[in-house]
Amino acid sequence: MEVFVDGESVEVEPGATALIATRLAGRTVATLCFDDRTAAFGACRVCLVAIEGAKAPVASCATPCREGMKISTRDERANRIAANVVELVLSELPSPPAPHTELAQVAEQLGIGQPRWTGATHPVDHDVSHPYLVLQRELCISCGRCVRVCDEVQGAFALTATGRGFNSTIAAGLNSGFAASTCVSCGACADTCPTDAITESFLFDIADQAGQGE
Amino acid sequence: MSHNLIEMLLRSESGEGPPSALASLKQAIEDHGEITDDDRRAAAARSGLPEATVYGISTYYDDFTQVRGDRHLRACTGTACWAARFDAQILELEEGLGLRVGQRSPDATLSLGEAVCLGMCHSAPAYRDGDTVDAGLGALQRLLNGSATEAFEPDWSSVLDRPVLTAAGTFNGLRRALAEMTPDSYLAEVKEANLRGRGGAGFPAGVKWEFARNSPGDQKFIVVNGDEGDPGSYIDKYLMERNPDLLIEGVALAGYAVGATHGLIYARSEYPRSAPALREAIARAHERGDLGDDIYASGFDFQITVEEGAGSYLAGEETALLNSLQGLRATVSVRPPFPAEKGYHELPTVINNVETLCNAPFIAEHGAQAYAGLSPGATPGTKLICLNERFVNPGVFEVRFATTLTEICHGLGGGLKDGHEIKALQIGGPLGGILPGDRLDTLLDFDELAAEGCMVGHGGIVAFDERTNMRELACHLLDFGARESCGKCFPCRIGLQRGLEMVQAPGDLDRDRLEELLETLEVASLCAHGAAMPAPIRSLIAHWPQELGV
Ligand SMILES: Cc1cc2nc3c(=O)[nH]c(=O)nc-3n(C[C@H](O)[C@H](O)[C@H](O)COP(=O)(O)O)c2cc1C
Ligand code: SF4
Ligand code: SF4
Ligand code: FES
Repeated sequence: MEVFVDGESVEVEPGATALIATRLAGRTVATLCFDDRTAAFGACRVCLVAIEGAKAPVASCATPCREGMKISTRDERANRIAANVVELVLSELPSPPAPHTELAQVAEQLGIGQPRWTGATHPVDHDVSHPYLVLQRELCISCGRCVRVCDEVQGAFALTATGRGFNSTIAAGLNSGFAASTCVSCGACADTCPTDAITESFLFDIADQAGQGE
Repeated sequence: MSHNLIEMLLRSESGEGPPSALASLKQAIEDHGEITDDDRRAAAARSGLPEATVYGISTYYDDFTQVRGDRHLRACTGTACWAARFDAQILELEEGLGLRVGQRSPDATLSLGEAVCLGMCHSAPAYRDGDTVDAGLGALQRLLNGSATEAFEPDWSSVLDRPVLTAAGTFNGLRRALAEMTPDSYLAEVKEANLRGRGGAGFPAGVKWEFARNSPGDQKFIVVNGDEGDPGSYIDKYLMERNPDLLIEGVALAGYAVGATHGLIYARSEYPRSAPALREAIARAHERGDLGDDIYASGFDFQITVEEGAGSYLAGEETALLNSLQGLRATVSVRPPFPAEKGYHELPTVINNVETLCNAPFIAEHGAQAYAGLSPGATPGTKLICLNERFVNPGVFEVRFATTLTEICHGLGGGLKDGHEIKALQIGGPLGGILPGDRLDTLLDFDELAAEGCMVGHGGIVAFDERTNMRELACHLLDFGARESCGKCFPCRIGLQRGLEMVQAPGDLDRDRLEELLETLEVASLCAHGAAMPAPIRSLIAHWPQELGV
């Protein structure tokens, strides 16, 4: 099937999404909740693009390609609103994300520095019960990637989304310590987490020591 | 929606069908006032779901997150109750009980929670003591005395000589369809009748049914959205409790048209009488042969089951409803796939509002033309509307589309009590715009209300009188929006919280920032909750800029 990304013709498989088409065309549409190993989730809304004929920008990860569809990754409104969403995300963290994280990189790509929003942030809450993994809840942006890889890739079902609204976050098992869950220590969650909210213990220890040395 | 979790549920459901995780958790909290890890383990074992998943479910719903004492009271924090006393009653209740909302007494004999709309908006403010819903004059005192009584509900009425929705269901439509029409010819009739969804979006029911009919699947389902989460609405409550036969007939007709043999009604738990009324009516319909195998010797089999929700506005959104119906967290799923292709148990499913389906019997009995003749305007059929306690004659009324709001508010409602004036109306639920009191010449119809930034929505009408402060209304609405957000998509999860913080902070609002936030919500949100919560705020900006402080 032929679609057009910023005017350039791209051949996509039936069932491909607009996001896949932009990647085939070599564009880097920013995403936060996307993990190509799992089913489309459509939560972060950062992957906004314009589609010719559509009233407003759409989330490209959840928009199937249609024959001849014209996708623009350079639409001013789509980019501006995606940046607004990322700014909101930065505003929920009590401290800026570490520079190597996907979130920090997406923020940089979209040109967002310090968020203009003040207001509630997530309370610092660390679970260090697991021998290899650390959960720093205050950094969780509820992208659901860890929950989905644990379910769809690993089949361990150790994680879940919890709460609702602004208080949404994640938990392992019955939330009585990561170590007490059905986690098989595969590390898939830490690997996919865009903020280091779940990270490997030794990286956390290094960061912790560096933090104390400052 | 996780494919693996649905597979797990299906595997454990083969055979008797164990209770859903929601039902297990509900039993636990009703039994001992809170949900323990042992309860979660038991719910996981019975439902077939992982323990972590059950933990997530137990942290989502109001019915599970509010601890209970031997006696559990709930105060309504819905918009009609707010419009009555601006939440002063909550403070009085807290003081009288010596408990804050969300608290339980140290000896665990008493607890105070909240519920967002108990469906007694005609007699607001409303309270719930156990399963008794009390409301109106003296209710607060009765609650404090421990003598709550079931509130009186005004009878409903219709402006039609031959009411469509308020007259008891007869099953004549189902009889006629099964005897004289094929599923295709009945479906064609519903399409021609242009029956528009009454749940909020106004989508043509016939088109949805056809989509599901044409979707491949060994089995198909009709799911009835009886979540009626809109604060200020009690229309579906009346239909489910006073006219369950009409609904049952409508569900069976939808099943006939679509090729489904099973209907599921999702009734909200804030209406403790709805699910029992439906179950009783279904049992009687089976006895009479209006449901069951080979109905009226036509070869058509149909059965209906009833599930109860657990306290969540978002559970009314169709994809969240499917999750909740299957016992999961009521969060939204991306579309496609649409429920008509992949819904309940990942099979083709039609989801319709209670009132929508209650129109199906008339169309079967009298045809599309008679249906079109019911209303003078562009939209065929009739609409149930309901009025809040501020009116002299609050209640549920069946009206024709294209009736003026003056006729509704003054003609039927009798204006406001005690000489109060209508400052504004919120029509169609929390996602509807707000109409100033000087625009009551507007017609109750889709296009006419849209032109005013409003909507028909589900048809609940909440009047605010001249005492109402619009900045405080913005706080009330955004508080609702932020608390009920399912938390899945980023703009709504964070944006409604930021919007709430903005209007709660003292001083003037930064209008550009606010409008930028509203646009982000409108364009980027995954579902209409985040996308339409800005609608009433935009009305306030447009009509009451000074009061709002922009
Ligand atoms: C936040 C939200 C809440 C909703 N709540 C309800 C509800 O309580 N009852 C309802 O029938 N539809 C509700 N809907 C609409 C449903 O998603 C769906 O459109 C409707 O049930 C379809 O039925 P209809 O076509 O017959 O109207 C809600 C939608 C949203 C976005
Ligand atoms: S822990 Fe990381 S991967 Fe998991 S939801 Fe939070 S931010 Fe996303
Ligand atoms: S708009 Fe709000 S309620 Fe709807 S999916 Fe997003 S977070 Fe959930
Ligand atoms: S009963 Fe309180 S808003 Fe409906």
